[in-house]
Amino acid sequence: MLSWLVKRLLMLVPVFLAVSVVIFSILHFIPGDPIDNLLKVGSPPEARAQMEERYGLNRPLPVQYGIWLGNVLRGDLGTAIVARRPVADLIAQALPHSLRLGGLALLFSTVVGVTLGVIAALNRDRWPDRAIMGGVLLGSTMPSFWLGLILILIFSVSLGWFPVSGARGWQSLVLPVLTIGLGGTALVARITRVSMIEASGRDFITLLHAKGLSPLRIQLRHVLRHALIPVVTILALRIGWILGGAVTVEVVFARPGLGTLLIKSLSQHDYPVVQACLLMLAMAVMLGTLLGDILQALMDPRVRAAMT
Amino acid sequence: MTFSFRKSLLAASVSLTALLAAQAVAAQEAVFVMNTNEVGAPTYNPIKATMLNSASGLLFDRLVSQAADLSYQPWLADSWEEAADGMAWTFKLKQGVKFHNGEPFNAATVKAWIELFKAAEGENAYMAEAIASVEVVDDYTVKFVMSRPEPNLLYNLSSTFMSVVEPKSYAALGDNYGVTEVYGTGPYKLESFTIGQETVLVRNDDYTWGPAVAQNHGPAKVERLTFREIPEDSTAFLELKTGGVDFLLSVPADLMAEVQKEPNLAVLTMAGQDVWYMPINVTKAPFDDIRVREAAAKAINQEEILASVFGGVGAVDDTFLISALPESHVAESAKIKFDPARSNALLDEAGWVMGADGIRSKDGQPLKVSLWTQSDSIFRRLTEVVQAELKAVGFDAEITTFDSSMIRDQYKTGEQQLAVRSYNWDNADIVDWFFGGDRLGYPNVSMFNDPKAEELRATAMTGSKNMAERIANFTAYHEYVLTQFPMAPIYQPVQAFAYNKDHLVVPETINAPSFGTAAFLDLEVKE
Repeated sequence: MLSWLVKRLLMLVPVFLAVSVVIFSILHFIPGDPIDNLLKVGSPPEARAQMEERYGLNRPLPVQYGIWLGNVLRGDLGTAIVARRPVADLIAQALPHSLRLGGLALLFSTVVGVTLGVIAALNRDRWPDRAIMGGVLLGSTMPSFWLGLILILIFSVSLGWFPVSGARGWQSLVLPVLTIGLGGTALVARITRVSMIEASGRDFITLLHAKGLSPLRIQLRHVLRHALIPVVTILALRIGWILGGAVTVEVVFARPGLGTLLIKSLSQHDYPVVQACLLMLAMAVMLGTLLGDILQALMDPRVRAAMT
Repeated sequence: MTFSFRKSLLAASVSLTALLAAQAVAAQEAVFVMNTNEVGAPTYNPIKATMLNSASGLLFDRLVSQAADLSYQPWLADSWEEAADGMAWTFKLKQGVKFHNGEPFNAATVKAWIELFKAAEGENAYMAEAIASVEVVDDYTVKFVMSRPEPNLLYNLSSTFMSVVEPKSYAALGDNYGVTEVYGTGPYKLESFTIGQETVLVRNDDYTWGPAVAQNHGPAKVERLTFREIPEDSTAFLELKTGGVDFLLSVPADLMAEVQKEPNLAVLTMAGQDVWYMPINVTKAPFDDIRVREAAAKAINQEEILASVFGGVGAVDDTFLISALPESHVAESAKIKFDPARSNALLDEAGWVMGADGIRSKDGQPLKVSLWTQSDSIFRRLTEVVQAELKAVGFDAEITTFDSSMIRDQYKTGEQQLAVRSYNWDNADIVDWFFGGDRLGYPNVSMFNDPKAEELRATAMTGSKNMAERIANFTAYHEYVLTQFPMAPIYQPVQAFAYNKDHLVVPETINAPSFGTAAFLDLEVKE
């Protein structure tokens, strides 16, 4: 198990390097640079060259990449060019907000998604199944930006239950959590349903039926347990996705977080901040995948056996 | 005995009333939404910041304020005098001013502040670059010794970046100054600041030194101000509509109609600092022929655009500058106005013959040109009208739309012919910025590099000894640029703000270029 884990961790190294190259180069291929945002009307024409020199933007790209990667590996994310503060500070301020929002959304989509999936599976091809799967299809195709505005219109403007935006108190978390969570709910519900239906047809379930156990007990204790393995994997994969998916939702609800920071820095071409944000999101996806693999291994004796 | 009991009862009720009144006053607060382009300003350190938001104008004061007509008025400086040769400025300072941390404001403070400003190498340093040194004449008189005449000094001193900081705490706090703590002399003190989210200010009750342009020179009337940062316009509007906030410091044109529909909301407009215009690339045929440039420029019907695209709100523009600037007062003949007859005559003269399809051609080549614009809906709408107006005199202009954040780099290629753009600035040096021969591509979208213009530009930028000379030199430079038709002026919008009129009383006249310190000092909250 331990050697498997070490191997699995070592595999992250080339992935990390590849991701860092992609992040760095994509950003520098986008037209525009941070200097345009810093230059002020009235500053002399030589100012541009001086600034490029100051921020090292006049060096060849591979050299800039090397310096950046070296610093990142030493734990130094650099200083924001436009925002003028250590990037680590900006991230440290933003990350807890995103983690809280993402965590709650994940919890919401797990609980509601599994419940709906079970109900749909138990009522396969009858009206509750159709209604749930129809809703799920709608939920998973709705863009979160739009869904957020619709939720604001219903729950804040018409009903006045929750604040339109901001990050004060739990009330302001409800709508953003719903906006992100509903998309995930759809996915979780669909997978739960499919894997429950699939598990119901297994030999050992037939055996349990033959032994005379109550069908509900079989479904909830044995089928669900079996069916949850792919669900857990999907959920772990979604950890990274949820942080990334929060980007537009944070902007719509004017919440602080990694997404708001990323969007703002992107429009200012503040390279060090954007690079750090993207790196965080990529790391979240990589670690989520790793976590998914580990959990799957722990839950599925067959995978465990294959590892040793 | 009875009398004294009654007296104490009376006293008690009086103090109870006072207490209740005090509570009513204490409840006085207002919530503002910052301008969307100020979202994410990371610090209130005016010396180092590259971007400052509206709240910074309330934490600090400046030596000089600006009135609505862009004239310079006293603030922390009561008066000033410029040496005839422009090599020195003497400022008489206001007495009795103190910083939020109790430190006094005097000549020594100004000297220390300017030295900090000059020592901080960065994008703002150029504003104080012409100041060689500061001499303390007496406690309340300072003399700026100049390395060269800088007639634009008062403009720089009225900028938020030249807000006067408290030098001792500035040195002590280092990078935390402006983030965790900040000490100025302004009408509000910083209570809390969360980057990208909100800033809470509380009233400075000692404040008695408001700028000359405000009606109220004493403490502000509203006790507590919250500035929220909401990047999405529609979210901000919904907050205003539901009473979550009281005032939006920017309202996009397409939400204006929605605001006007709400009975509890009102729109406040002030003269704008934006100019919309059509740059013409003077290096790209057929626009290397000045006759074709003039023809294109005079095909633009500013009045029609004002009425049809902007609903009559704002003003037409016939120079490159906002009309509040004295340098916009150029000779009548230099102004660029709609004149289709002249456009047609010029194109005929240049050999472009009108075809049966309404498109001109020369030597078998149709008069086909490119017209660039950016993705925002208002730009696209305006550009379509411009396209139709060019068509009316025989241009076949093809629109290309670029993402707003990328278009600058497209300009750097120099491939543009015509474009529709806007800028926001309230100083004549914007002519240098957009038409200087050493900034070709961007900002000089017109690729304009003319020897005579460069000469006039040098004189305007560095050859003026005092403000009157600077105005004359910039007017001459601006006027010459106009006669070369590197662009066509189109429109000057207004600044629009929206607020909850059930909760706020906005001053009737605001004698300032924008909704800043003066307006906040005069603002009231309804009981």
